[in-house]
Amino acid sequence: MAPVIGATFSPFTMKKTLIISALALVSVVIGCKKDETDKGPSYEFRKPENFPEPTYTFDNNPVTEAGFKLGKKLFFDPILSVDNTVSCNNCHNQSLAFADLPLHAFSKGVMERQGIRNAPQLVNLAFMKEFFWDGGVTHLDFVPLNAIEAEFEMDEEIENVIAKLNNHAEYPALFKAAFGTDEINTPLMLHALSQFTNLMVSNNSPYDKYLRGEVVLTAQELEGLRLFEQKCQSCHSGILFTDESYRNNGIDSVFTDIGRARITSFSGDIGKFRVPSLRNVGITRPYMHNAKFATLEAVLDHYSDGIIESPSLDPSLENGIPMTAEEKAAIITFLKTLTDKDFTQDERFFKG
Amino acid sequence: MKKFLFLTTLFFSIALLSACKKDEEKATFGTFYLQFDNIVGDQDLTIADAASSDFKYTNSLDQNFNVSLLGYYITNIKLEGPNGEVFVDPVTTGAAAADVKGIYQVLESSTTSQTIGLSNVPSGKYDKVTFTLGIPADIVQEGATGGVLDPAEGAWLWNWDAGYIGFAFEGRSPASPVAASQWNPENSVQIHIGGWKDITDNPMMVNNVKTFTLDFGTSVSVSDKLEPKAHIEMDLLEVIDGHHGSADFTSTNQVHTPAGGTEFAENLHSAFVVDHVHQ
Ligand code: HEC
Ligand code: HEC
Repeated sequence: MAPVIGATFSPFTMKKTLIISALALVSVVIGCKKDETDKGPSYEFRKPENFPEPTYTFDNNPVTEAGFKLGKKLFFDPILSVDNTVSCNNCHNQSLAFADLPLHAFSKGVMERQGIRNAPQLVNLAFMKEFFWDGGVTHLDFVPLNAIEAEFEMDEEIENVIAKLNNHAEYPALFKAAFGTDEINTPLMLHALSQFTNLMVSNNSPYDKYLRGEVVLTAQELEGLRLFEQKCQSCHSGILFTDESYRNNGIDSVFTDIGRARITSFSGDIGKFRVPSLRNVGITRPYMHNAKFATLEAVLDHYSDGIIESPSLDPSLENGIPMTAEEKAAIITFLKTLTDKDFTQDERFFKG
Repeated sequence: MKKFLFLTTLFFSIALLSACKKDEEKATFGTFYLQFDNIVGDQDLTIADAASSDFKYTNSLDQNFNVSLLGYYITNIKLEGPNGEVFVDPVTTGAAAADVKGIYQVLESSTTSQTIGLSNVPSGKYDKVTFTLGIPADIVQEGATGGVLDPAEGAWLWNWDAGYIGFAFEGRSPASPVAASQWNPENSVQIHIGGWKDITDNPMMVNNVKTFTLDFGTSVSVSDKLEPKAHIEMDLLEVIDGHHGSADFTSTNQVHTPAGGTEFAENLHSAFVVDHVHQ
């Protein structure tokens, strides 16, 4: 926990700073009270210093406390599904960095219908250019429409969702509080969900703290980091651990799910999928779009010995990535330093 | 002489009194109407019931068909005149329907949607119109938008390859072998032209949003008293049967991807013609 006095340095207005200083003083006098109890959690979107510029259009839809809380209510509310049984959090669990349960390799929608892809974690969405394993969606606002309308997810029509919200006992007042309007429409619902998902910023893993000089990593973790930079970073690059390109990493040669080609209609893209972020990868099993691997050990064995040839295979993987057993173990130890417990335990996202 | 003096004095006093709003007084504005009329070759286009077996129209392969849905998005409208007159219809987006301006969904099923009134057009002569057919990248990338772009209000939004369908035609043709399903009636024909992304390293990644200019063939005047109207005809037969590609309904009957719509998008320009303008 940061020292209480730290609160006085937050970039607030003079008046607030004064009040906070006073509060901080009081707390110091009282003893070691948490600073959250004093100023409450922040609902402001803040770009971590070492992150790229956000891609999200915050000009159209800045995050506010009321908007975030409305988005949270929607995220946990099965009202978005056809038979009022499935909510967003059915497939996106905070304790797993908003990935799906390991049990659900392919996520389960209404009436136990089986999905077609493994639900990814939801982190650092505000910084991403494209969404989904195939990159079909280019703006975060449009992402939930897929889940709501897909037969095997929520199977609901958007007109019905809006009608249900308009006729609801609580939602009209919540939309009014968040957006100042009497009208509930699709863009406002999507804006509220984006406010909620935009604050899913994960930058407090031990690795991040190591970068900021707050903690030290073990010798094995550091060795893993060095090996990762050598062997994995060409694709899982940068602070988001993805270059956001589409590639075939050799997990198949026959593609029932054609991946990127679904969007580009380009045969050269058959079997290519978005390079996923590896943040929180220690808690997001199973792995790959088709949930092919149950463990990180299996993933690394794949890269060293299991690459399958096919026309779109990434050229850099043709001979696999040679790694010894110790090297694999070190890389896995490093990958586990990307698990952000501050994020998975962040109370702002609790159902409440 | 006296009268003249009096008049000039009067004129100057008025001019002086109103000096501060001189500019506004000089520049007057009017309304210009664009009216869209949809046709199929030499026949007027009328909407049939989705299940109708009355096939009024015929393509060049002698395949009969009807039309149960027809429409398109028009945006970025610009008028230009022979003396440098320019009017750009402002485009704005936002969550409230009232914030969405300059984006129009023209539907055969809605007469009011077929007339676009452009207000605040500076007085002057105009002899051509330019517009964009489809919703271009800069609007899509603003994110969720209301009004004619709200899917709950009938906007055509692809959710899996997010973006709007710029031109939609649905109907039936006995030539189409499509069986009845939860998505389609029997013999269904659906041609949805969408796709707005330019991705240079992908030869198939197509941008089907088209911008084109139509000449009036004459010029018409706008003023605070003159409200001209350009009558634009859109020939569906040109779109599905034009010289850049035509639909054989036996094989091309469900077009729901950007790449699938390319040929038809190329046909769009020649499908729109200014039939005449009213002063
Ligand atoms: C039935 C399970 C299910 C439900 C319910 C569901 N999702 Fe998802 N979600 C998925 C799957 C599977 C994917 C990956 C889809 C793909 O790549 O094609 C995904 C992807 C996403 C992504 C994109 C992540 C990325 O990195 O590209 C976001 C954001 C998201 N979901 C948010 C939501 C929201 C908000 C809701 C509620 C409106 C929701 N999801 C409901 C299963 C679900
Ligand atoms: C040539 C690019 C490339 C290289 C090099 C690469 N990866 Fe990947 N990685 C991918 C792609 C693409 C996927 C997603 C494939 C899919 O789901 O179809 C992926 C998926 C993963 C996943 C699954 C993540 C999840 O959430 O499902 C893990 C874990 C992973 N890679 C770890 C590594 C490690 C460790 C290395 C280095 C030893 C490495 N990768 C090297 C491209 C690459």
